[in-house]
Amino acid sequence: MTTLDSVRELAPYQDQPAQLPAAANGKVGILRLGFEWHEDQDRTILRDVFRQSPLLVQRALYWDEEMPGLPCVMILTTSGGVLQGDRLSIDVDLGPGAQAHLVTQAATKIQEMDANYGTQTQSFTLAEDAYLEFLPEPVIPFRRSRFVSDTVVRLPETATMLYAEVLQPGRKYYRDGEIFAYDLFSTTLRAHRPDGRPLFVEKFVIAPGRFPVTRIGMMDRFHVFGNVVLLTDPDRAARVFERTATPVWDERTPLATAVSRLPNDAGLVFKVLGQETEPVRAAVRAFCTAAREEVTGCTFPPVFSWR
Amino acid sequence: MSTVPEALKLLQFGDSVFPVGAFSFSNGLETAVEHGAVHDRTTLQEFVRTVTRAAATGDGVALLVAHRAARAGDLDRIRAADEAVHLRKINEETRTMTVRMGRKLAEAAERVVGESLLRKRVAESGGGVPVTYPVALGVLFAELGVGEADAFAAHQYGAASMVLGAAVRLMRVDHLDTQSILFAVNERVGEDYEEVRTAGLDDMQSFAPHLDVLAGAHQHAHVRMFMS
Repeated sequence: MTTLDSVRELAPYQDQPAQLPAAANGKVGILRLGFEWHEDQDRTILRDVFRQSPLLVQRALYWDEEMPGLPCVMILTTSGGVLQGDRLSIDVDLGPGAQAHLVTQAATKIQEMDANYGTQTQSFTLAEDAYLEFLPEPVIPFRRSRFVSDTVVRLPETATMLYAEVLQPGRKYYRDGEIFAYDLFSTTLRAHRPDGRPLFVEKFVIAPGRFPVTRIGMMDRFHVFGNVVLLTDPDRAARVFERTATPVWDERTPLATAVSRLPNDAGLVFKVLGQETEPVRAAVRAFCTAAREEVTGCTFPPVFSWR
Repeated sequence: MSTVPEALKLLQFGDSVFPVGAFSFSNGLETAVEHGAVHDRTTLQEFVRTVTRAAATGDGVALLVAHRAARAGDLDRIRAADEAVHLRKINEETRTMTVRMGRKLAEAAERVVGESLLRKRVAESGGGVPVTYPVALGVLFAELGVGEADAFAAHQYGAASMVLGAAVRLMRVDHLDTQSILFAVNERVGEDYEEVRTAGLDDMQSFAPHLDVLAGAHQHAHVRMFMS
């Protein structure tokens, strides 16, 4: 397991919490999920599950009426978010032709911290023709929180992964408003082919106290940032690009979006900036719908009215 | 302190008119002006500072790594730096920009300076990892005997002057405005260097989603004066 404790942006936060020490029993969350296409059942099954709290999953449900063979798995946390000293790791494996839809139960709340930090490593390994949607609820970094995540995706050209993240500025409507009051939010996403050939890397280190993020070029006047990566073959990527490429610059909502082609024919990246979460999520959803339709030929069912 | 010959090399290859084609890129400013996000001196200065900050924590790290690798004669490490830059250019136009300027710098260096590690790197790049601008600049300055801090400074100066050169043509600012902005933004280069000098290729990062969206939107504009 990779450890993120030594990354340079965490150097100022190596003190121990007054509560349970970092990485103590109960603070190392592990989730391992293995999906396999099952010929007889004509659907993908969740073949392997290993979970250690604070991470938890429910059983695979087949709620998607547009893709009845698609296992939908909800990731939960038993501790109400990421706490200081938490070390989380998620490892997902899809066999040949397997499909899966992964979501979280609620927003990922990175709780207030006064010592140490939380980390999360994620690894997604896809075999030929596999299809994975990883569409977690938004991330909310609370005041003084410190969080580092590192995600690695390995996939062949025939496989597809759709990865969407929405980052909120904090608890925007809590008390007087908490906007970019966190200490550190660092995230790295890298993808490569099964033979190790790298496709692209994207790393952000956001430390609002050290360099203000409300500047022109960074967040400008926007508060919510959506980032969607579609890793798929060039033909499918071209079709999705065709449908989604027209940039949006809507002053009234406000909302700004743009799509770009990733290096090494890895796929597309879609970026959204907004003031409020809902318009950003709607834009993310629209892109994801185009992606799913072009890749699988199926659309998304209507959004649950309670989510 | 630089000696006279080194200072002259720094001035020549760090000059904003050195023929690497910097004048054809605006680094997102064209769209920013079109949408009114940048509209006066103050907003222009803020924009330029965001660009130089992203250049310092991203490409600037690769430049330093490349400079040290060139001094050690380590071609593999130089290639790794080029790859790190290329993999992180997730926007098409910025990717085109770094590859095109890298190639032009390498070609110019070959004509002006002659045989060098940079030339070896270009020779082996066909079909593989392309030569990128910050890495080419780092290698070239190392071979010319210009120190890494000076090389970093030239890179940061180039990032700012590219945007400011475009600004004169895109909005109502004059050459004295842009020189004042350049002077002010340059004040930050020293502290940026201190911050990134100990970083490695894995630490390369930049958070500028607004720039990314502007850059992504630029490629769809019907009327464009600049290539980015």
